[in-house]
Amino acid sequence: RKAKLFPPVPPLSFLHSFWSDGEQTPESRTFHSAAFCRPAMEINDGEEEEEFEFSRNYFLAKELGGSSKKSGRKISDIDPVDEQELRTAANNLEPKHEREVASLMESYKASYPEWGFMLRTGFGLLMYGFGSKKALIEDFASTSLTEYSVVVINGYVQSINLKQVMVAIAEVWWDQLKAKRRNSPSQAQQPFNSRSIDDLLAFMDGQEADDDKSFVCIIVNNIDGPGLREPESQHLLARIASCTHIRIIASIDHVNAPLLWDKKMVHTQFNWYWYHVPTFAPYVVEGVFFPLILAHSSTAQSAKTAAIVLQSLTPNAQSMPIESLYAASRERFLVSSQVTLNSHLTEFKDHELVKTRRNADGQDCVYIPLANDGLQKLLPEINP
Amino acid sequence: GSIETREVHSAVAFVSARREWLDGKQNERVEVEAQKTESGLVPTHLALGSCHRGGATSGFTVSEFTPAGKLLVPSGSSSKGLHLHCCCYMEPFTILHKASSRKTDKISTGTGKSRTTRRIDLTASLPASTDISDVNAAESNERHYSNMRMEAFEAVWSSTESSIKDVLREANATIFSEIHEWVRDSFDTIVSFGVPNFHEATQPFPVVKDATSKQIFTGLVLTRNIEFVDDLVTFEDLKQHLKSQGCHVANLSSVDFSSKNGVGTCLRSLLGQFVTGSLDTADISMLATWYKEQQNNDNPVVIIIDDMERCCASILSEFIHMLSEWVLKVPAILIMGVATTVDAPRNVLPSNALHRLHARKFTFQSLPEKMNYVVETAFVKQSSEFTISHKTAVFMRNYFVHQNGSVTSFIRALKIACAQHFSTQPLCFILHWFLRDEDNEVPQSHIYGLSQERMLKLAFDLPSWKSTNNQITQLSGETLLDGLTQLKKLHKTWRMVVLCLYEAIKGENVQLLDLMCEALDPKGPFASQFDIGSRVLPSDDSTSQKFHSLEKNKGLINRAIRRVKELPANQLLVLMKAWEKHTVDVPEFHSEVKALVLSLLKLEENGESLNQNKVEMTNTRKQALRGHLNGADKNLRVANEKASNLVDLMVRRYMCPVECVALHEVLCFDCVDQLQAALIGDMRRRIQMDLQDFHAIIRCSCCSKRGSTILPSMPDSSIMYTLAQEHGDVVNVHDWYQSFKSVVLSTHMVSKRGKSRSKQHSPTPKKRKTTSELSQPSEASIQYPCPCSLLVVFSLFCRLSLLFINDGAVELKWKTLKT
Repeated sequence: RKAKLFPPVPPLSFLHSFWSDGEQTPESRTFHSAAFCRPAMEINDGEEEEEFEFSRNYFLAKELGGSSKKSGRKISDIDPVDEQELRTAANNLEPKHEREVASLMESYKASYPEWGFMLRTGFGLLMYGFGSKKALIEDFASTSLTEYSVVVINGYVQSINLKQVMVAIAEVWWDQLKAKRRNSPSQAQQPFNSRSIDDLLAFMDGQEADDDKSFVCIIVNNIDGPGLREPESQHLLARIASCTHIRIIASIDHVNAPLLWDKKMVHTQFNWYWYHVPTFAPYVVEGVFFPLILAHSSTAQSAKTAAIVLQSLTPNAQSMPIESLYAASRERFLVSSQVTLNSHLTEFKDHELVKTRRNADGQDCVYIPLANDGLQKLLPEINP
Repeated sequence: GSIETREVHSAVAFVSARREWLDGKQNERVEVEAQKTESGLVPTHLALGSCHRGGATSGFTVSEFTPAGKLLVPSGSSSKGLHLHCCCYMEPFTILHKASSRKTDKISTGTGKSRTTRRIDLTASLPASTDISDVNAAESNERHYSNMRMEAFEAVWSSTESSIKDVLREANATIFSEIHEWVRDSFDTIVSFGVPNFHEATQPFPVVKDATSKQIFTGLVLTRNIEFVDDLVTFEDLKQHLKSQGCHVANLSSVDFSSKNGVGTCLRSLLGQFVTGSLDTADISMLATWYKEQQNNDNPVVIIIDDMERCCASILSEFIHMLSEWVLKVPAILIMGVATTVDAPRNVLPSNALHRLHARKFTFQSLPEKMNYVVETAFVKQSSEFTISHKTAVFMRNYFVHQNGSVTSFIRALKIACAQHFSTQPLCFILHWFLRDEDNEVPQSHIYGLSQERMLKLAFDLPSWKSTNNQITQLSGETLLDGLTQLKKLHKTWRMVVLCLYEAIKGENVQLLDLMCEALDPKGPFASQFDIGSRVLPSDDSTSQKFHSLEKNKGLINRAIRRVKELPANQLLVLMKAWEKHTVDVPEFHSEVKALVLSLLKLEENGESLNQNKVEMTNTRKQALRGHLNGADKNLRVANEKASNLVDLMVRRYMCPVECVALHEVLCFDCVDQLQAALIGDMRRRIQMDLQDFHAIIRCSCCSKRGSTILPSMPDSSIMYTLAQEHGDVVNVHDWYQSFKSVVLSTHMVSKRGKSRSKQHSPTPKKRKTTSELSQPSEASIQYPCPCSLLVVFSLFCRLSLLFINDGAVELKWKTLKT
């Protein structure tokens, strides 16, 4: 079956969604604030209660999500505009509290010596808190870490080749070593980009340096970003971070980011030292790659997606009417039995092309969860 | 606009331009000329992009640019409307700067100017003017002092860390040598099956004899840790131990045995640890060749797998099969870590793989035992004087017991505490001074950037000094020296007491950490008699009575005291002998212990009667108590009495909690909140608090009096967050948007309605009429010039909210609005 293009996404499992990019129809969009969880949790208040509260909220939200208490209003009622217009407007937006944000950033300068100290004692700094921390971290590195080389990895970029990053780090470290020693190193150098990952790690971990206090600092902006979310990437980053001559500073924004790491990574490899540094600075670069939710394009996109699924189905399956489905289908010789119909429907349900609900008489009804304009766009695409 | 330039070898520019500007320029190469910087220098590295039509009106993404050569910003009118920003931000990685070779005379722009300026600073080697050299001198001094502090920290911490490591290694020494013996025996057995002759050895396939010769000797090691992290340390130690005995050892982790990559990964990892040079293919025959080439073939190959239960069963069994086929050529012995029970392999592996294993069980020490060793080394026996306050100790205990359960993390927490102490306490270098044992001269503060006067001022301003030593007016270096010596002495005696008490209840499954927490408590029942910092130790009757009245209280210290009083003679002798060792540093107490040991030894001279009486005493205790005592019993009672007096005296006189001593701040870490924040980042809660209590962080004047109302001047994300909270667990995006809109467009409304605000944001906000508000020209509408901006703000927030909310089906993107 060609139709298995999009694996169905289990609804509402926020653990799952952390790892995968789910699709959603914009018309039925609701936000579940279970993950918001009440913030009034004090550590001393007994962790069990806290845990309980958390799970309670989660299941409560799940329950509500399943019920029909949803408001009927749709985003399309707001009359979204063109994405380009939105982007232009975004560029011209006047920031609030600019002065305060700037002085907040300035206030962190007093902590720079402490951060530098912790970095040099061997900890990895993990910055979190609301607001973009990119400028802050890079300013810290530019002012306080001048005697070390600094490499910046941008986790918010969609795809990152960590091998290339490692080659760059190794080269920087090699330069640093050479500059320290003055005399040319004895061993013949194999170019770094032809070495294996293990070799590179061994090089960065090696005892070649005369003074083991020098290191290369790696800044990872959004270590929880889409480019680094794969477990393999995180494992590799952890191995890099655990090298003797590497120190790491990273920022996280996703509340579930700590789930990326196991205890070995946290305690022995990254060796995180947490810093809460809210900046309230706009996340400008971190989000350039993502579409705006209230733009028109999202509707168009889901129609397109639906079209792809529908086109990949058998011709018979493409033209199912909504009401009196079976009877109508039989009349039209589309299906010969209830079994065939069900198999078609199961396929649709898996991809959320149709959904079922009960009407007042208790009968199951199937419907297409697309808005009229979505359907209108869709139909000419299927039957050109 | 302005360009930001940095190290831009191959950077891609992110360009956004207004539509009008690009009209007619589709498919054209955008050539943008370099702007001159203020100082007149032209940045040499620039980026180039050529843009294509289509989405090129605004907001290109990287893919629409081809990096090559230079990006030139056109001068003159045609460049208006072109915004260049995010230079090289879209690169997956960049080099921010390289290490400056001139370590000391480096200028850094502490004011945080633009990167362009900084870059010029880096490249232009300016002739040093006088001003700059002053700044340089100050900075290089500062750097020097911080390096000295760093050194002091390293000296103190490494002394603690290395002694902890040693003690953990020692704790495992017996089991390690047991394992080594078994490895040797197994190797001999394998060799006895037959050594391949030259012809066999050179062929690239295994030698097979019979079924028994296919067995793999396997050591199942029960690590008895809660956390897998601790096992790693143990196995690393084991590896080093076996290596030092001549074995070839390789460590494999469960990551190597993942079903994703097949058996090749673990084989490659194994070969990587033995065979040097690059490996294109991984094959076990290469291992055989390698083993044959070894100069002496009388050493086994030991393969340690750290956590067998986490391995993929099929890969592991495949690996075992492979090894067993080749065992005559590569005498491999497996050591597998097991976290649960020895039955684990039976549950994990298929029977045909199990048949190949010839297993033996080894058991390491349990976690509480290890923890006792660590605490003993780090706090009671250590060479450095660094210690922690009662509160911190309780926090660390709870962190260990309730949250973490791993020795590694406990040591890490201690390291964080130590590092924080060195970064916050200006007098921390005194710890280094303690370590170097230079008791007779005043600490050399100037090498750490403190003048002696400043050091004295800091020291005599410490709360613990001020509260107790008001009467001392002459504050000189000698006074400080006296104070420090006293501090060191009292700390030492405190440690002695804790060690002695621990010795008394060691056998009773007691955690030293608990005992330590109790003994550290400056408000505990035993500390009440120590005036903070008092030098005159109390010995009057009233405190003594008070002490006795507390005797029946619960607690480990009381338990230890009771136990000493009830110990039978031979055990008492063992205990006293141990005390004799521990108390060497306190001569007056030592002599009393010695005397007791002597009298106990005298008792033992009547060896057989003593033993007999001991049995009688335990069996017929009641009788003994009734007074039917013979001479030896009498003596024993006297000895017990003496021991009881001794322990009273010890606790009363010497167990002064460190926080009761003047100047304790220099060696005692007390910022438990800081430690907690660094150790346990509370991501979810803190971000929500940031949004909720933003005012506490950004301290703006406009939102100071808001109370519970939502003001349009609040950061947009905070508004959205608060609204979401009011909507309950599920928010309809449309409704949410409408509420948001009405908030930001309703400056007047808020001030009029005041308290009823929160009610307005009921889950049905659409009922409100927003049209009239829209038509009013308010401050808000100036801030959001077109209705479109509102959509933007909202859209941006929705992206942001995916950061927090992460609804199962959504997880689109994340970016926040411009606050």
